[in-house]
Amino acid sequence: MKKIVVVMIMLLSVILLTSAFAPASQEKLTIAARGGSHVDAMEAVKGEFETANNVKIEILGLESADLKQKIGLDSVNKTGQLDLIMIDDPWMPEFAESGVMANLTEMGYVEDEDFAAPSRAIGKDPYGEGDVYALPFSGNVMLFFYNKDLFDSKSLSVPADWKSVLEIAKQMKSDGKIGYVIRGQQGNPIVTDYLPILWSYGGNVFDADWNVTINTPEAKAALELYMELLANGVNYEKNDIVAAVSEGKAAMSLGWPSWYISGADAKAAYAPIPGKVDADAELHGSGMIGNWMMAVTANSHNKELALEFLKFVTSAENQKVEATFGGVPTRASVLTDPELTAKYPYLPTLLEATNNSVVRPRTPLWSNVETALGTELSSAISGVKTVDQALTDAAAAITAVMAE
Amino acid sequence: MKQNKTFSYLMSLPTIIILAFLTVFPLGYTIYYSFTNFNMLKPKALKFIGLSNFEKILADPYFQQALLNTLKFMVLAVILETGIGLLVALLINSLSKGQKIFRTLLLLPVVLPPVTVALIWRIMLSNNYGIINKLLELVGIAPVSWLNDVRTAFYCILAIDVWQYMPFAFLLIYASLQSVPESQYEAAQIDGANAFHQFWYITIPNIMGGIVLVILLRSIDSIRLFDKVNILTRGGPANTTATITQYIYNYGVGNYRIGFSSAGAIVMTLIVLLISSLYVKRAFQRN
Repeated sequence: MKKIVVVMIMLLSVILLTSAFAPASQEKLTIAARGGSHVDAMEAVKGEFETANNVKIEILGLESADLKQKIGLDSVNKTGQLDLIMIDDPWMPEFAESGVMANLTEMGYVEDEDFAAPSRAIGKDPYGEGDVYALPFSGNVMLFFYNKDLFDSKSLSVPADWKSVLEIAKQMKSDGKIGYVIRGQQGNPIVTDYLPILWSYGGNVFDADWNVTINTPEAKAALELYMELLANGVNYEKNDIVAAVSEGKAAMSLGWPSWYISGADAKAAYAPIPGKVDADAELHGSGMIGNWMMAVTANSHNKELALEFLKFVTSAENQKVEATFGGVPTRASVLTDPELTAKYPYLPTLLEATNNSVVRPRTPLWSNVETALGTELSSAISGVKTVDQALTDAAAAITAVMAE
Repeated sequence: MKQNKTFSYLMSLPTIIILAFLTVFPLGYTIYYSFTNFNMLKPKALKFIGLSNFEKILADPYFQQALLNTLKFMVLAVILETGIGLLVALLINSLSKGQKIFRTLLLLPVVLPPVTVALIWRIMLSNNYGIINKLLELVGIAPVSWLNDVRTAFYCILAIDVWQYMPFAFLLIYASLQSVPESQYEAAQIDGANAFHQFWYITIPNIMGGIVLVILLRSIDSIRLFDKVNILTRGGPANTTATITQYIYNYGVGNYRIGFSSAGAIVMTLIVLLISSLYVKRAFQRN
């Protein structure tokens, strides 16, 4: 018994002594991020910041819906567990309205014009003109993807309008290939796949006064064209689209740059999305911007340090490193960097597409609008409803959402 | 006597406290929030809105379709899982050798998490590289867009659920079969009963308790169908696979609308209670 007591006392002494001589407690920043390449990119550069600031940076990689839930749950705490959060750009109005993010302008942040202007606009509240709340971390913008080998074999050039896309799709189909792949799954996929065509027709979900305009002739014509593309192609989910276009089974699709193999020898080539209906039509912006933003939380225990890390991780120097780990730059200087563009030739196209991009409607209710619109678009392409009926029902459902 | 009563109350107290924390309080909060406009991101804007959430849900055509889909799914899934589970249990029970190995192999799908099952089937049903379409191509059939076609998406999800949970039905029915006294079959054989008579008048009455339990548990569980739908179809195409839980997630939880979600959860709980009470009532009457 005595021996046990002696051993216990000795152990306790060791613990007390080691804790007394332990280094001063280290600061910690916690980041809630979209899992995958975004996390890899940050992990690749964070070490330098950790050493310079004696801080431990923990990055939680989460699936999109989980990320949104976690941010919401943490935002109601007086002091949050999260210091920095990654935000998909359609979430910005909802988070800005609810005070989830710290006002970076009030914290002394000075706007950096090296970020592409449309990306910068997303981080402000009100959109494009208010104070800065978030910085663009990942420069996703929808692009037009095509299989270069298939196009070269037919001596085709990249189509500049949607009627030409349809003609090429028909030609490919007659040759036994899949002409065009739509991403027509209900919800976010079909909405993001359809909106660029709607915008090319000069239509939109809302007008400037927030009246619902999804049942206009432009929207109907765009949906009819979308269904004609499907008639000359297939409806695949993301992984099948990437495989089909990369392998040359399919000729064309829309998609996000991060989906595709981005090396110099990739078979899927990239171009801005056509912005007009036919050769004589008016040109519109059509590439959907889908930047992942990063913000400091309003309830962070260490906002200043979090802002410093945000500036560090979005700096030109670090974006160049991050690009080699799957990051998508948001700065013009990085997107046109000769060394980087030699390795990733699509980067200047990405900058061009970003500068001509269109942002989804800036409403905190966008998630519900997207759900309603996605359901009706799916009904139309499935043949359950006519185009007219689907868009009329979509307009009614969106109006009900906006009335809340 | 009084001392005994106090002692038994004291002994029950820890269970009552834990139950209150885990069940009664959350249920109370859910009922309370269902009458409010509570949005998690705007807690200060919380106000009492009476039955407004319930009115919106019940009048929403998307909810009505989700309700119909859920009930259709529940009926078909329970019939198929119980029916096939019964047949498989009879088959395995009749084997003179290899019962253990078949029993173990059959139970593999049921131990997998629904998310894993959905992801495995998503790969297998892929239009481009899925093994099912590859096999069809081998026999000259064009690939089918299983999860994007209104004619097939619902039945794909149903088939996946049956694949996963039929073994659960099998297990419970098989356990019931093991307890049927052999003497009853011997007596029936002496009386000249044929195989069908033995099955109908001896096996079925003896395993009815197990079958009712399977129906009850699978009904409750299939009403809560979410993971497979969310991963495989997101309720589409054209809302043909939307379920009540998917509706609550899409229009409520996913957008922090806790008041609206709570009302949806209450409606779903009432439906589950209604259905399960019918079974429970019948089961008690039998007993």
